[in-house]
Amino acid sequence: MAEMNMADGHEVDEVENQKRRRFLTGVTAGVGAVGVAVGVTPFVLSMSPSERAKNAGAPVQYDFSKVRAGQMVKVEWRGKPVVLLNRTPEMMAGLGKISASLADPDSEQSLQPGYAQNPERADASRPEFLVMESVCTHLGCSPVEKLAIGPDPQMGDDSQGGFFCPCHGSKFDLAGRVYKDVPATTNMPVPPFKFEGNIIVIGEDDGRTA
Amino acid sequence: MKRFILVVFGFVMTVSTSVFAAGGSNDALDTVHMNMSDKASLQRGAKLFVNYCLSCHSAEYSRYARVAEDLDIPLWQLKENLMFTTEKEGDLMKTTMPAEDAKEWFGVAPPDLTLVSRVRKPNWVYTYLRAFYQDESSPSGWNNSLFENVAMPHAMFELQGVQRLVGKIDKVEAGAIDAHAAGPELAENQKLVGDAIFELVHPGKMSPVEFDQAMTDLTSFLAYLAEPAQLQRKTIGVYTLLFLILLTMLCYLLKKEYWRDVH
Amino acid sequence: MAIHRHDDHKSANGFMEWVDRRMPVTKVWNEHLAEYIAPKNFNFWYYFGSLAILVLVIQLVTGIFLTMHYKPDAALAFASVEYIMRDVPFGWLVRYMHSTGASAFFVIIYMHMFRGIIYGSHREPRELVWLIGCVIFVALMAEAFMGYLLPWGNMSYWGAQVIISLFDVIPYFGPMLTEWIRGDFVVSDATLNRFFAFHVILLPLILVALVFLHLVALHQVGSNNPDGIDIYDNVDEHGKPLDGIPFHPYYTVKDLIGVGVFLMIYFGVIFFAPDLGGIFLEKDNFAPANSLQTPPDIVPLWYFTPFYSILRASTDTLLAFLGVASIAVGVLAAIFVKVKAPWRVAFVVTGLVAYWVFDNTTGKAWGVILMGLAIVCFFLLPWLDRSPVKSIRYRSLPFKIALAIFVVAFFILGYLGMNSPTPVKTLLAQVCTVIYFLFFFLMPWFTSIGKTKPLPERLTSAEH
Repeated sequence: MAEMNMADGHEVDEVENQKRRRFLTGVTAGVGAVGVAVGVTPFVLSMSPSERAKNAGAPVQYDFSKVRAGQMVKVEWRGKPVVLLNRTPEMMAGLGKISASLADPDSEQSLQPGYAQNPERADASRPEFLVMESVCTHLGCSPVEKLAIGPDPQMGDDSQGGFFCPCHGSKFDLAGRVYKDVPATTNMPVPPFKFEGNIIVIGEDDGRTA
Repeated sequence: MKRFILVVFGFVMTVSTSVFAAGGSNDALDTVHMNMSDKASLQRGAKLFVNYCLSCHSAEYSRYARVAEDLDIPLWQLKENLMFTTEKEGDLMKTTMPAEDAKEWFGVAPPDLTLVSRVRKPNWVYTYLRAFYQDESSPSGWNNSLFENVAMPHAMFELQGVQRLVGKIDKVEAGAIDAHAAGPELAENQKLVGDAIFELVHPGKMSPVEFDQAMTDLTSFLAYLAEPAQLQRKTIGVYTLLFLILLTMLCYLLKKEYWRDVH
Repeated sequence: MAIHRHDDHKSANGFMEWVDRRMPVTKVWNEHLAEYIAPKNFNFWYYFGSLAILVLVIQLVTGIFLTMHYKPDAALAFASVEYIMRDVPFGWLVRYMHSTGASAFFVIIYMHMFRGIIYGSHREPRELVWLIGCVIFVALMAEAFMGYLLPWGNMSYWGAQVIISLFDVIPYFGPMLTEWIRGDFVVSDATLNRFFAFHVILLPLILVALVFLHLVALHQVGSNNPDGIDIYDNVDEHGKPLDGIPFHPYYTVKDLIGVGVFLMIYFGVIFFAPDLGGIFLEKDNFAPANSLQTPPDIVPLWYFTPFYSILRASTDTLLAFLGVASIAVGVLAAIFVKVKAPWRVAFVVTGLVAYWVFDNTTGKAWGVILMGLAIVCFFLLPWLDRSPVKSIRYRSLPFKIALAIFVVAFFILGYLGMNSPTPVKTLLAQVCTVIYFLFFFLMPWFTSIGKTKPLPERLTSAEH
């Protein structure tokens, strides 16, 4: 054991040995740690979405020609409810009236493709058409639509229509923009989308940014 | 102690090799020479599979997109050549034929082929695919010398042509041909598949050599299909082993260092 | 309120002092690692204990990750395994690690048990260590058997069907019991679901608890060594064994080499031959379970085959042999054992009764009984072994010969179990079955004869 080497009286050697020992321990521990880190990686990755989940999350197509002005449908994309809302001129006009009471009217904090970062939060080719993940940015509930313009028990007396989250009372306008002074702080996300004739493709925009 | 182990080990080896020299499968199989890194061969196999197999058989654990990615098939080519228009590229490779219809037409539902190469082994698949022959006594008009009275008709006769069974040789003899013995004397248009001698009575679009190559491609694809991970695992394995050699060497030095204390 | 420490182990720093007052971390570390004194001449065979713990951990971790994707449902199970193999990122790696780990576990456990036998680690005072180890072996077999049903391949299905049917031989209750185990009239969804519960919860808990007890018992009596002598027979003035060294760091660094070599072989199999030619993953198990079609060669995985061979060897031929042998043993005992006359009569009568029993029972029942006994034999080892020395290095020649024959018979039984039976192979299996049981039956005799070598004063051959 350790004292046996000491007994020889070569204390300098002993210091050298200790250095060597510490060095080897350090190197082995380091290489071992790299091995553990690399070894853990496949296990961590195995929990990310599988090919099945990715396929289920592939873009969905919807024929929106039947969605008339003032109507709304919900489509499932990646297991989330996506609303397709064809807004009337009155609804569009209402969006401009309430900017002052919104937390982020210009959608600077929220998630949306570049082409939907505008007051309507829609594509310039069809500004009346809202495509939005109906997922409250507070804790993930799906807000209830309040499409009617006018007094509403939840949305207030001068409501221009919007979405109300039943879980914790967050309010959004008809572009999914969040009101001030509610639990949620960001606007609801807009997924990537594109139009192909009467078909809307949700989840794919061919990499378009503006 | 060491001598003891050696004696026991030696004895076990002697006994096991002498008593059980014979064994294994009873079928006479041809050896398929696959090259799993030959992407072109796998691609040709995939095309044959989709065109000739997938209309009746499914590969329901496999996805088109994965096959395309693994075999370097561009997405447009996948969609144009390998898929039905209604399918998404991430879909499972299901057959278009409803199972009930298939059962009515063939008597049995055609089995799923995703794992056939792991259940039957590639040599069996390769021999089976080449062993169809014309047989009027069977309901489909076809028979197979490796899988007698199989319900499946010859799906690729337009490629291979029509062959008839001339005779069979001894199975053990057939099994030895690849290794060291020469085969029986064959006429120009005759061919030995497994233990069966066939005569080509009506040539197909491919020559016998081309057809064998095509079946090698198809067998390789089925082998890939049964275990897609095999394309990656050997590469990862080499790096893993190199790393472990390094780590073990370090551990050895570390142990030597510490054990200098122990006398 | 003041906290009183109940030990005098020195804490490394202030923080550890704080912890040690509340929880004996330093005490446990010292007693089981840093100050656990192990003999200094551990050799190759002593790697397998720590490797067994490593593989247990690998199986637990990979098992948890497989459970995240696997579906214990007869309609979905097979597809969910293929889903893991294809669609889950690195799922194939996790699955191969688990399937290869199962086989690796048994390789290691068999080596570990063999180490115990050759160096006498089952002998006094380590009988409980050995017994707990035998229970671990049985629990591991149950764990492996139930796990093998989960992929719901055709071999899974028929393997479970055959093994569960073994309980049919129990008189009167058998058929009722098998239905209860399956939860159905055949192996079915209900069986799969309950085997899943046992495989992922019950048996892992039992295994971990047993391994803990195995170590507690070992650390109470201390490790044996290849010389089979007590290192506490030679102590210095402080009562420390002269031939002992602390487990940590000396054996922790040494075991790391074993871990490295093991991982090379383990990952070599995983990455280059995960089926190992059909031995680790059987080809018939890549076809989904089919209750109407038994695979042509129905064989269990390799680690069960020695016992499976004994099961299959039990035919009328074997019973006839056992019957005649029991009469012979009774008569020989009556002639040679020096006891009073009534005892001699009793020996012969016992032999005759045994003959009658063997003659009037079926091979099926005896197959199950013999297979069970083959495992029970290991439990009895500490009391069957009468040698004055522990280690094979100093044992008499008869023991070495008997052990060599036993090992060969065990390998042959294992090999035969992997193959479909033929008349010749069945006969060979019967011979090996008899050898297997003779090894244990005659052990009190052959361990007490012959000349043992003198034991050394101190440990020998510290090779490093």
